[in-house]
Amino acid sequence: MVERFLEGWSVYKENLIGKIGLTLLVIFALMALCSFFTPMIDPMYHPMTGVDPQISHSTSPSWRHWLGTDFIGRDIFCQLLAGARIAFMVGISAAFMSIFLGTAIGMIAGYSRKFVDTLLMRLADMIMVMPTLLVVLILSSLFGQLNIWTIVLLIALFRWPGVSRVIRAQTLSLKERPFIEAAKVAGASHFRIIFRHIMPNVLPLSLLYMTFRVTSAIIIEAALAFLGFGDPSTVSWGMMLQWVWKTGHMFQAPYWLLPPGICISLLTLSFYMLGRAMEEVLDPRLRKEVVQE
Amino acid sequence: MALLTVKNLSVGYLTRKGFLKSVQGVSFTLDQGKSLGIVGESGCGKTTIGMALMGLLPDNAAVTDGEILFEDQDLLKMSRKEIRQVRWKKIAMIFQAAMNALNPVHRVSEQISEAILAHHTDISEEAVMKQVESLFDLVGIPLDRMRDYPHQYSGGMKQRAIIAMALACHPSLIIADEPTTALDVIVQDQILSAIKDFQNKLNISVIFISHDIAVVADVCDNIGIMFAGQLVEYGRIEDVFNAPMHPYTISLLASYLTLDKDVVQPDSYLCKPPDLINPTPGCRFCERCTVAEAACSLMTPEWVEISPTHKALCYQCK
Amino acid sequence: MEIRKFIFKRLIEIFVIFFVILTVLFLLFRLAPGDPVTRMVDPTMTPEDAAHLIAQLGLDQPIWLQYIYYLKNFFTGNFGISFHYGVAVLSIILNRLPNTILLFSTSILLSAFAGIFLGKIASWHKGKKIDTWMTLGALICHTLFLPWLALIMIWIFGFHIGWFPLNGMIAPEIWLDSSSGFWLKFLDIAHHMVLPLATLFLIHFGSYLLLMRSSMLDTLKEDYILTARAKGLTEKVIRNHHAAPNAALPVVTSVGISLAFSLSGGALTETVFSWPGIGRELVFAVSNSDYPLAQASFLLIATVVLISNLVVDVLYAYLDPRIKY
Repeated sequence: MVERFLEGWSVYKENLIGKIGLTLLVIFALMALCSFFTPMIDPMYHPMTGVDPQISHSTSPSWRHWLGTDFIGRDIFCQLLAGARIAFMVGISAAFMSIFLGTAIGMIAGYSRKFVDTLLMRLADMIMVMPTLLVVLILSSLFGQLNIWTIVLLIALFRWPGVSRVIRAQTLSLKERPFIEAAKVAGASHFRIIFRHIMPNVLPLSLLYMTFRVTSAIIIEAALAFLGFGDPSTVSWGMMLQWVWKTGHMFQAPYWLLPPGICISLLTLSFYMLGRAMEEVLDPRLRKEVVQE
Repeated sequence: MALLTVKNLSVGYLTRKGFLKSVQGVSFTLDQGKSLGIVGESGCGKTTIGMALMGLLPDNAAVTDGEILFEDQDLLKMSRKEIRQVRWKKIAMIFQAAMNALNPVHRVSEQISEAILAHHTDISEEAVMKQVESLFDLVGIPLDRMRDYPHQYSGGMKQRAIIAMALACHPSLIIADEPTTALDVIVQDQILSAIKDFQNKLNISVIFISHDIAVVADVCDNIGIMFAGQLVEYGRIEDVFNAPMHPYTISLLASYLTLDKDVVQPDSYLCKPPDLINPTPGCRFCERCTVAEAACSLMTPEWVEISPTHKALCYQCK
Repeated sequence: MEIRKFIFKRLIEIFVIFFVILTVLFLLFRLAPGDPVTRMVDPTMTPEDAAHLIAQLGLDQPIWLQYIYYLKNFFTGNFGISFHYGVAVLSIILNRLPNTILLFSTSILLSAFAGIFLGKIASWHKGKKIDTWMTLGALICHTLFLPWLALIMIWIFGFHIGWFPLNGMIAPEIWLDSSSGFWLKFLDIAHHMVLPLATLFLIHFGSYLLLMRSSMLDTLKEDYILTARAKGLTEKVIRNHHAAPNAALPVVTSVGISLAFSLSGGALTETVFSWPGIGRELVFAVSNSDYPLAQASFLLIATVVLISNLVVDVLYAYLDPRIKY
């Protein structure tokens, strides 16, 4: 296991895209960590409640407020840091949950008889057809203002089909391999076969898909917050954009309008790069080997 | 006047691990209407020769030495535009049927007529269609299958279509690269008769590349045996088969089961394939050779002429 | 003939999926916290109207009977009265549908064609500067946050440079003026459509470009490309006539798979640009707790996704002769 990781790491290191992606991610992670400390420096730096006693409207960047203040005098830079924290939290939890679901269902579908398989895949098809954002939207109309963890759960519930298809295909091909036959003959139960034998082989693929799921989770949460359906007690980048838009500061406050959008895009980009580099590690065919005659 | 003269051709590939010398110092000639078989195991360089003749070597390949004189012109010195005009019109290629040699989204007749139209600009549509029809007749595919797509053809039919396509511009030389591999024996036989047939009727020269010496024996006038990028034996079919000289040729022939002789099972050897990046200075067959001597691995072997129509690259064949 | 059978089979599948969604929505609306009656009946209605509506929707009946009413109402086109607008929901959504289809299909077609065309060019010049720039550009566009890009577009092109209107689909002055001809109205819509279309285009063409590029690179390694080269065809003919048609197929599939995502993007774009389409209507309806309208809008969007999927599948079958039914 460890050698495989180290071997993968050596291939990854050579990939420029992967390195850029990883660097960006580290920067964002640092931002997220810093968000814990800023309110401790001075209460006015709290993203939600920190109001500068001297400022009560939107101002441009200054030494006190590196990115300026929003419409009620809160520090934009701290909001940005808090947004990083939310983005990571939402992205990784939603991705993790959807991968967990998708892998489990994919393995079960691939391994089971035709009936269960068809049923599960039909379900996956139906869910895949739904635009996730709009589904969460209509659910929020019924259940009122959504809490951030509910949003995470809903995203996970509607994003698992994509990965389950791939895992199912992988399971189907693994099912026929001799080592599975051997395990069956040795009397292993289905459960054991799935989790001890099939899972380790599909896990790399799951991890790969997780990086792509993180990006979609972050975007969906941001879009929801932008439209006004996010969790009002959390400061996410999408929420920041909503405030800029709805308070009519769109045209006058580029220091407020630009940073959140740039951050969302860069974070998405870095996860995407991470995923592409990982793809190269996992699929030897994609590596830059020269073909021999 | 020989149609094709290859002199001292050397081709290599740039790989991660170094420069792989795939073909070294290969020379042979071919007259109009005659056929030559090039036989060897996989990796011996025979396909590379075929590709080099067509100018279809990949980007990481380099011709390091030699000449390819076709109708007195050196193909290696031609510009890309000139090569394009030679391709198919003068030299055509037949690929393996198992290969995806036909474009799946275009009809078969369209792909053949495309070949004709690429080299004849002043021909009418009906004339082209007539020609395609006559080609289908020649190779024995029913005319009502002309407008089908490649995936609707069987393996044998695909191979025939590929042959028909190769004949489309009446080339002087056809290079057939493993045309019967991956086909069942009956179809194999049909394809081989078809090739012999058009070779005789249309006086086309054929270079037949294969790993199967038995197939080559059926179709060709001359044969060249390749090993580790070098031509190790060359001559008329009868000469090489009845009196093989090079130890490799002998073991190659011996590994085939025949009905008229006792079979001597060759010693199975678990050797690595020859290293083509840093080849041994002497004879490359040394490791597997049954009659190797100490000198063989140190001195570059030279051609020994056994008869005017038969030579071998080995000191032991004097 | 076989295509027709395939379409028929798929229409049945679509119907089934739609039915399931319909049922799930029904259950959700009834089971969600709160009183279902207030959800379906506008609180500002007069008691007689309210009673009439309740009877129509069967809200005072047991749940299985409600379901029957629900289905009956649905198939007769009775989606209720919008709380916000006060008119029949059906008329609202029918009014909005063409606007969405106009924007949505134009953006998909444009970004697919551009993605395929540019991806093909990028693969020709692989490794060179133009390829690097194109790939980088596509990657950046692909990861931009759509609402943010929309805001930036409005800010720069609408506000600062002032070339394009800030929002909306039409300029009321032109449409109210009875002397405006067809062309004037057409240009007016086109003028308003430029920014939302550009936004959608930028977000989507990136992924198609990247996909087409890698698809071309894979296709160029195929054996039939070697055959084409051996036939003496020029590189241009090989790329355009032999490689590109094969390479474009996975891109078409990808368009189909990402339709749901594209529609979400469409809804966001409509909202920011105040383009009067179904997506924006859904967002508004949810904000205003206009349940009948929200439900109907969602169902209509689901239908659009399903039908578009079918269209893409049929197109793919037409393009790839290997597909058999």
